[in-house]
Parts: sequence; C-alpha cells; structure tokens
Amino acid sequence: MQLLISILYDCIYHSAPIILCVLGGIFAYKANVLNIALEGMMLNGAFISVLVYYYTQNMVIVLVLTIITTVLYGLIFSYFGITLRGNVIVIGLALNMAAAAIAGFVLVLMHSSHIIIPDFSVNEFKVNIPLVGKIPVLGEIISGHPPITYISFILIFLIYILMYKTKFGVYVRVVGENEEAARAVGIHTDFYKYGAVLIGSVGCGLAGMNLSLERMGLFTNNMTAGRGFIAIAAIYCGQGDPVISSFYAILFGLARSLSVNLSIYAGNAARLFDCIPYIIMVGVLSFASFMKHKSVRERGFKVNE
Amino acid sequence: MNGKIEETVKAVLNRIVLVLLAFIIGGIVIFFIGENPLNVYYILFKKSFFTTTGFLNTLHYAGPMILTGLAIAITFKANIYNMGVEGSLLSGGFIAGILGAQLSCLPSVPLKIICLIAAALLGMGYAWIAAVLKIKFRANEMVVTLMLNYALAKVLEYLTTSVFRDLNAGYVSTKIVSNQAVFLRIFGRSRLTVFFFVILVILGFFYILMKKSKQGYVITAMGNNFEFAEATGMNVGKNIMILMLLSGALGGLAGGGWMLEDQYRYTLSFSGSPGLGWDGMLIALLGGHDPVGIFIAAVFYAGLKTGADSINMYTNVPKEIVALIQSMIVLFLAVQFFQKYKIPLFKKRAKEA
Repeated sequence: MQLLISILYDCIYHSAPIILCVLGGIFAYKANVLNIALEGMMLNGAFISVLVYYYTQNMVIVLVLTIITTVLYGLIFSYFGITLRGNVIVIGLALNMAAAAIAGFVLVLMHSSHIIIPDFSVNEFKVNIPLVGKIPVLGEIISGHPPITYISFILIFLIYILMYKTKFGVYVRVVGENEEAARAVGIHTDFYKYGAVLIGSVGCGLAGMNLSLERMGLFTNNMTAGRGFIAIAAIYCGQGDPVISSFYAILFGLARSLSVNLSIYAGNAARLFDCIPYIIMVGVLSFASFMKHKSVRERGFKVNE
Repeated sequence: MNGKIEETVKAVLNRIVLVLLAFIIGGIVIFFIGENPLNVYYILFKKSFFTTTGFLNTLHYAGPMILTGLAIAITFKANIYNMGVEGSLLSGGFIAGILGAQLSCLPSVPLKIICLIAAALLGMGYAWIAAVLKIKFRANEMVVTLMLNYALAKVLEYLTTSVFRDLNAGYVSTKIVSNQAVFLRIFGRSRLTVFFFVILVILGFFYILMKKSKQGYVITAMGNNFEFAEATGMNVGKNIMILMLLSGALGGLAGGGWMLEDQYRYTLSFSGSPGLGWDGMLIALLGGHDPVGIFIAAVFYAGLKTGADSINMYTNVPKEIVALIQSMIVLFLAVQFFQKYKIPLFKKRAKEA
C-alpha cells in the first residue's frame, strides 16, 4: 500500500513540469509553429529561478525574473522564426544549445558544477491542503506538493477554456489551420503566433522553476533531461488538445514514477529503468501517429507531420 | 556558370558575416568578464591554426565532425530531421571499444575493419528504428530520435557501469582497446592518424553521391518539395529509409573511428559536450549541406574547439564561451539575413512561411 501511495504521489510530482510545458507548447503547435525550444526554455527557467533565489531569497523577484528571461527566449524565437522567417527547427535547437551554454558558462564562473540553495529543506515549498490532507490515502497522494504543481493541474482547465472558448484561442487555431485565410479576413497572424510562442515560454519558465527550485532547491546543467522533448511528444500524441495532451504528460509522469519506485527492487539494473519512460513515449507516439493516419486516405509523406 | 559562382561567393560571404557577428557577441561577453576579446581570440586561433602540430591536431579533431556533419546534412537537406546522429555515434563508439578490447587475438587490419564495420552497422541499426517508425507509423522522426538518444544514453551508461566496466580503471569506463586496434599517429607529435584519410575517402564518396548521382538529386528534390517529389514518382518512404541508414552508418563510423584513433575506451564523456553529433549539426548548417562546405566548416570548428582549451589555460575566460558562440552561429544560420542573397538551403522554408 505504501508503495502504491508513493507511486501515485511521485506520478503527480513528475507530471507537473511536463504538463506545464505541454500546456505552454500546445498553442504554438496549434498556430503551426513547431517550438522545440521548450527544452531550452525549461532549462533556463530552472537555472534562473535557482540562481536568483540563491542570491536574493525572494520569491517575487525569482518569479518575475524567471518569467522575464524565458519570455526573452520566446521573443528571440519569435523574432527569428516568425518575423525573419527562419527555419524554426534550427532556431529551436540553437536556443536549446544557448540555454545549456549560458548555464554552463555561469556555473564555471561560479566555480561549481551545480548550485545548491543552502539550508534548503524539501518541505519548504510544500503546501498541505487543510481538509483534504487529513483524508487517509487520498490526502497523502494529493496533499504536500509545491504550489506550481497544483497550478499546473488547475491550468489544464483554464487553458482548455482559453483554447476553445475565447477569441484568442479560436484565432490561434485559425492561423494554424489556414494562415492565408486568416490574413485575408484581417487577423494579424504574426501577432497570434507571437502570443502562442510567448504563452509557451511562460509555461516552460514555470515548469523549470517547479523542477529545480521548488522540488529540490538545486540546479545542475542538463537537469531537464529531455522533458521539453517529452512534452513535444505528448503534444503530438494528443494533437494539441489540452486535456488529452496533458493525459499523455501524466502517462510519462507515471512511467517515470514507476521506474523510480521500482528501481529500488532492481539492484544493479536500476539504471536501466531510467530509459523506460522514453521508450514508452516513443511507443505511444508511434501508436498515436498510426491511429491518426490510419483513416486518412491521403498519399505520401509530409515534412514534420 | 557565372551565376553559380556568384551565388557560391554570396553564400560564403553570408556565412562569414554570421560567424563574425557571433564572435562579436562572444567578444562583448568576454569584455564583461574583464578580458581583452581580441587577445582571447588571438590565443583561441593561434595554436590551432598557425602551428604545424596544432593544425594537424585540428585536422584530427575535425575528422569525426566531418562524418557527423555529412550524416546530418544528407538527412536535413532532404527535410528529414534525424537528431539520432549523436546516438549512432555513441553506439558505434561503444561497440568498437568493446570489440577492440575483446577480440585482441586478431591481427591489426582485420580487427580494425571488424570494429569499424560493427560500429557502422550498429549506428545504422539505431537509425533504422526511427526510420521504420517514421515510415510504418508516421511517427515524427525528430521527436523519436531525440527520445531514443536519451534512452540509448541510459542503456550505455548501464552497460559501462556494470557489465563492461573495467574494474582496474579509477573511473567509470570500459576496457582499453588492444594495441592492434589502435590507429597509430603518423605525423610526429600530432594526434593525426591514418583514419583521417579514410574519412577523406568517405567525404569524396559522398561528394560524388550528393553532387553527381541520382540519389543526390533525390535528396535535393525532397528538400525542395516533399510532396512534389512523391508526386513525380519518387518513392519517398524508401528514400527516407536509405538516407536514415546512410546517416546512421556515418554516425556509427564516426564513433568507431573516434574510439580507435583517440579515446581507446568508452567513458561517459566519450563524445564530449555538447557532443560530436550535435557539433555535426552546426557543421552541416555552416557548410550549407555541401561536402566541401562541411569539410571547411569542420576544420574551422575543430580549430575553435581545440583553441578553447588554450583560452581555458591562458586566460580567465571559461572555455564554455565557445559553446555560447556555437549556439549563436546556429541561431543566425537559421535565418536568411540578406534576402537578395538567395541561399538554396532556406529557399523553400522562406517561401512556405
């Protein structure tokens, strides 16, 4: 029983950053801008949040600076990819490299391979929900997560509303589906593309903050370990629908949680468990893509379908 | 013909401007650290390009990057985003290291050939997974290869730390390859080996493949317009498979060669940071997906990398500055800054967007 509780708790714990990334990324996906810089933006969020907290210990400054810097990444991405019409895949890869390079550069200047926040306790950011926390099993699973984890789950529904019930969401989808038509009826397509990418940056910034600062109070380079790409895979699997894509993100969280919790019993082969989540995502993506194209009678391949 | 030369010159000029721009940004960062940028850049380039041994070493380091650059170029040029070159390189290096250590009874030449062929095959097998998923299931090859890279890295990490670990080494690594498997150094104190000439032969082969053969034309056609290529009767699925396998083989070979000519044992930092496969991406883009361009770009970038160690030694600037400059170069290369200079590489994207 204790194992099951800890698996489900960890599932929520590991899902949160990916859900945030997914929720941020789906707008760019719907606007037909392939944003693979999610990984770099998340890394930047993780890095800046720990760095700023290390020097200031002030959550407001941390939040503001984390979001400003990740939005900066989004602006660079948008300017090069949308305004200058560059190859978005190459730009995304460049930004991923840049985020890792900047973090590595600053770490060397600090003469350290990581930043650890002194006197940090894992319980520092944990929120215990008053009534729910008292319920036996359920309370243990749901209560005691950092705030951004809760925000991520609440955001699934807010983003759903933003995507399907507001003018912004509708316009973003129109721009993605048929840009010429959108322009013809007078929609500023670039404006909505910028908006879509920037929402993604905010999501990734929060995801990074959740990953490094709130959960562990430390930053090491490459700590995002491909979560941004997993988010992209989840978006592809769910075809940009907030609820379905988030479901795939939670699936990855579950795979990760299983691999972490079961590796205790695996002895030497424990390291091998780490690759399971990635392989599961490849399988799921293949299956989802197959189902999507099964009924389509269209011939041939498309770039980046 | 004249127009063609003019276009090439423009493309070259365009790239030089972008590289300079990246260096200027790097210079500003160096300035803020409190060092003289010009002095740092002088140290960066002096040893790797203006001394004989240094230049031969630069060529040595350029070797695997020429191969990974080619591996990326033949897929990227055809609009297939194979990010698995890094994975192919790691798996190729790993298998070459294991075989080189285990089959120590074999004589020199057959052993090397076996190691390299195994490396190429494993690299190919790795790329095959993504190719099959792309063709049969329509899974996005970019996402799949990126994920598989992480999975593969974990598997190799496990194998290196458990089954194949050399317990006599003070750090995590596999057994050192036997002497017969090692490519010997041929020019005095420099690290350059015979394998570099193997690489040049491969480069020549790909020059012919990409410029003169039917396959090369298919690559260009797929790069210009995927759907049109299919509509004119090219079997795009089959070509995706061929290109992915070629790309994987090149990646594996790069890894195998790097093992036998430089590393001699598989460690967790075999490919360095950010990894020779990722360097290949910069090289392919900087070289305009053209074999000659790739050669020049690889030598230039290898010089940058070896020079980075010098600036680490003689100045206060961390060598990570080179990674920063690298990402800036890639970023700028994504964009056609000068619209009137029509660079074939990005023509299609620009029209589409």
